[in-house]
Amino acid sequence: MNFLAASIESLGAKVAGWFSVGYGMFAFLARAGSLLLERATWNRATFDVVVKQVYFTAVQILHVFLGYALVISWLIISIILSTARDFGLTEFASEMTIRVLVLELLPFLTALFIALRSGSAINTEVALMQVNNELDALAHCKVPPMQFEFLPRLIGGVISVVTLASLAGLLALLMGYLAIYGMNTAGFAPFTQTIAKIFDFKIMAGLLLKCALFGLAVTLIPVTAGLDTPKKLFMVPVSVLRGMMRVFFAIVAIEVVSLALKYI
Amino acid sequence: MARVAPDLPLRANLSALDNIALIPLYQRHYSAAESGRQAQQLLQQLGHADIAPLRDPDMTPAQRFIAKLARALILGRPRLVIDRPGAMLYDVPYPDFIRQLAAQQEMAGTWEIYDFSWNQALYNQAHHPE
Repeated sequence: MNFLAASIESLGAKVAGWFSVGYGMFAFLARAGSLLLERATWNRATFDVVVKQVYFTAVQILHVFLGYALVISWLIISIILSTARDFGLTEFASEMTIRVLVLELLPFLTALFIALRSGSAINTEVALMQVNNELDALAHCKVPPMQFEFLPRLIGGVISVVTLASLAGLLALLMGYLAIYGMNTAGFAPFTQTIAKIFDFKIMAGLLLKCALFGLAVTLIPVTAGLDTPKKLFMVPVSVLRGMMRVFFAIVAIEVVSLALKYI
Repeated sequence: MARVAPDLPLRANLSALDNIALIPLYQRHYSAAESGRQAQQLLQQLGHADIAPLRDPDMTPAQRFIAKLARALILGRPRLVIDRPGAMLYDVPYPDFIRQLAAQQEMAGTWEIYDFSWNQALYNQAHHPE
């Protein structure tokens, strides 16, 4: 009986903890959203940090990321093409390639890439800032941490994921065309027709929203996890571990919901 | 009131100059170049222009104190409180060090030092070195 009560108690505490974390994240997002509308937020310093954030998150890794997107795209396209040939479904190969790669796999992998590289760094940095009292020092100097440290990271994360996923998508389209039709313009008309058929307004808006949500997930969750860190140095790795687990579940949840809305 | 205190550290990923320049850049909306120039000028006035490119972990305790002091001074508040200087300046005889800095500084305003009572002797020695 005691074991049952303890289990229910522990489960209840976990559920309450999840709700509290979720509430904290949405409250933070709401505060960030309201600050976006304030004129004072849009000053030179915030803009500079946004530019810096986009540079570190997207520009600095562009060559590595494009190389990685190229290899993944090439492999997936080759698998799709050879399977389509085996089953005599070659005419569906281009549509399949676009749907699998551009709409689903590449945005998902982009979000994972940014989460592992920048999300973990953001989580660690915010946790260290919290532990070392740097946020209080900024507040003392009347430099609000939300506008100077956090909001630019959220904006930079969204811009970076949307841009990198778009670039990877364009690269995959080019690779798909070359793999299916080779180095000639004969397939240009049917290929562009397939693209136009798939990318209607609803799909485009959904793709953009999904990438923006991925961008938010890989920055918002690490920032809030960092801010939740108790002021003890040994808690920093725990904070990063928790933050990155939440990011992973959030990315998977966004992808699953997007797939369910599209195909079920 | 501006405070220089052990519990108000510098931003670790910014240089000393950027930590100071952040305030005119953010509060007074100066350009990055103008904010940097003001910060550099203040460091020069304090006699430590050389610490401008250093980040927090690369600075000695005295250099870190100078950067914190410059950040507090650039706030332009009438009252400056130096809180527990012994906890920040453990590598120099600090009453003299702070007195020299205050003499170099041309800014108006009051400097106040809050220290533990058992350190009073250090200030007396600084007044009467013999």
